[in-house]
Amino acid sequence: MKKHLTLIVLFIFLAMGCAHSPSTSSNALPQANSSSQLILLASNADEIPAKSSDNPIDAIDNEYKDDQNLDYADDTFKEEKVEIADPLEPFNRAMHQFNDKLYFWALKPVAQGYKIVIPEPARISVKNFFSNLGFPSRFLSCLLQTDFSGAATEAGRFTINTIWGIGGLLDPSSGKELDLQKQDTDLGQTLGVYGVGHGLYIVWPVFGPSSPRDSIILVGNYFLYPPWYIQPLYASLGVSTYELVNYTSLSIGDYEALKDAAIDPYVAFRDAYIQYRMKQVKARKAKLALPTSQEVNPPAADPASPKKEI
Amino acid sequence: MEKRIVVFCILIIFVLSIPVYAGVPMTTVEASVNRVLAVLRDSKLKSPAAKEKKKEKLRIIYKDMFDEIEFSKRTLTRNWSKFSPAERVEFVNLFEQLLEKSYIDKILDYSNEKVDFYKENMTSNNTAEIQTKIVTSSKEIPIFYRVTLKDGKWKVYDVVVENVSLVQNYRTQFNDILAKDTPAQLLDILRKKVKAL
Repeated sequence: MKKHLTLIVLFIFLAMGCAHSPSTSSNALPQANSSSQLILLASNADEIPAKSSDNPIDAIDNEYKDDQNLDYADDTFKEEKVEIADPLEPFNRAMHQFNDKLYFWALKPVAQGYKIVIPEPARISVKNFFSNLGFPSRFLSCLLQTDFSGAATEAGRFTINTIWGIGGLLDPSSGKELDLQKQDTDLGQTLGVYGVGHGLYIVWPVFGPSSPRDSIILVGNYFLYPPWYIQPLYASLGVSTYELVNYTSLSIGDYEALKDAAIDPYVAFRDAYIQYRMKQVKARKAKLALPTSQEVNPPAADPASPKKEI
Repeated sequence: MEKRIVVFCILIIFVLSIPVYAGVPMTTVEASVNRVLAVLRDSKLKSPAAKEKKKEKLRIIYKDMFDEIEFSKRTLTRNWSKFSPAERVEFVNLFEQLLEKSYIDKILDYSNEKVDFYKENMTSNNTAEIQTKIVTSSKEIPIFYRVTLKDGKWKVYDVVVENVSLVQNYRTQFNDILAKDTPAQLLDILRKKVKAL
């Protein structure tokens, strides 16, 4: 009797062990039963593209006969289907070309030289410094989105980093102890949160991909970004150029990788921009819908929380 | 009697441990990524001459980790049916080469960055999203792997880098081309692209 009891307890214990992921275990079980056959199938599928022997065509055809009519556009991530109107395509393509040349002929060589001269920690500090100056724009955006905890975080960050971070060169507030992460938001996202769409796609010379909605970032920065208050104008342009060179020196290779992997770089960058902005706006909306999410989730696991910038 | 119970217990353990093994997509991806990192950090393969050897090793892991047919199907979506079986084979092949050639140097560059696996989202019964990030000295790059359960194994069918889905990105490009060109012409463009890389 006692043994039966042990058996039952063991059974319950093990059954409970699986209960945390009922959805997976329920469908994984039947598949595991015929695992040997499935392993055969899997290894077949792996080899098809590699070797062009016998008739891989038939194999691939057979494999997908059953789901020929499956519409993969309607997959689980369907909310990501994003398109943007592009009536200005000829102009945009020209600007894309212009920015591309600007990068390869001017920005990249300068940034590469700069990278050799200045060690990385110093360049990261410069980036932090400029990032700290972006505080007014981020603070206002948080307020306009009624994200008061975000605004408070930003205000705290600005104070701490300016005073203890030597004018923003260091970023002590995003460390483990304080854990005040930069609120990765801007005025374009703010409009997005209130339901304003992109409208159409624009590529600005120098500034790159944008839209009428996101162009408010450029306008806003003119008023909210301290370097633009430097007089005379050429000094302010010089500072902005330096910021751009410093930023580029930390990300040389990113643009090239994306461009090389693309079939049509213009379309690839357009799509990447739209996807990127859409997810940012979605993350902001998610954060507003769950105002306590910051307390409940650790920041790293919360998609709404901004990414850490060092 | 006692023996039978023991056998029965062992049987139960076996039966119940299978779903746990197959039900953790995160471990599958994490194991694959760790294998990649092990190759990248291998001190024996540090010399430039060993680059080809490294690539060969990475290719084996890649084949095991990714479902390239699913990848291709999801990028082509409706257009998949416009391709003849022979064209499909060539497309899958070319697309794989394109991805390998354009990203291998970027991957070989990584060595000491930390990869953080922090979240697993079940998006449906047989798909999941594994959220990871690469922590470099100057920034954090979020990379999400989307996996699907195929033949009892979790396979990656999409990679989302910095919020941009690779499948979605290529889908837009291919749609754009296929709106005016035939599949044969698309394959031609791909062939040239792969050769030029």
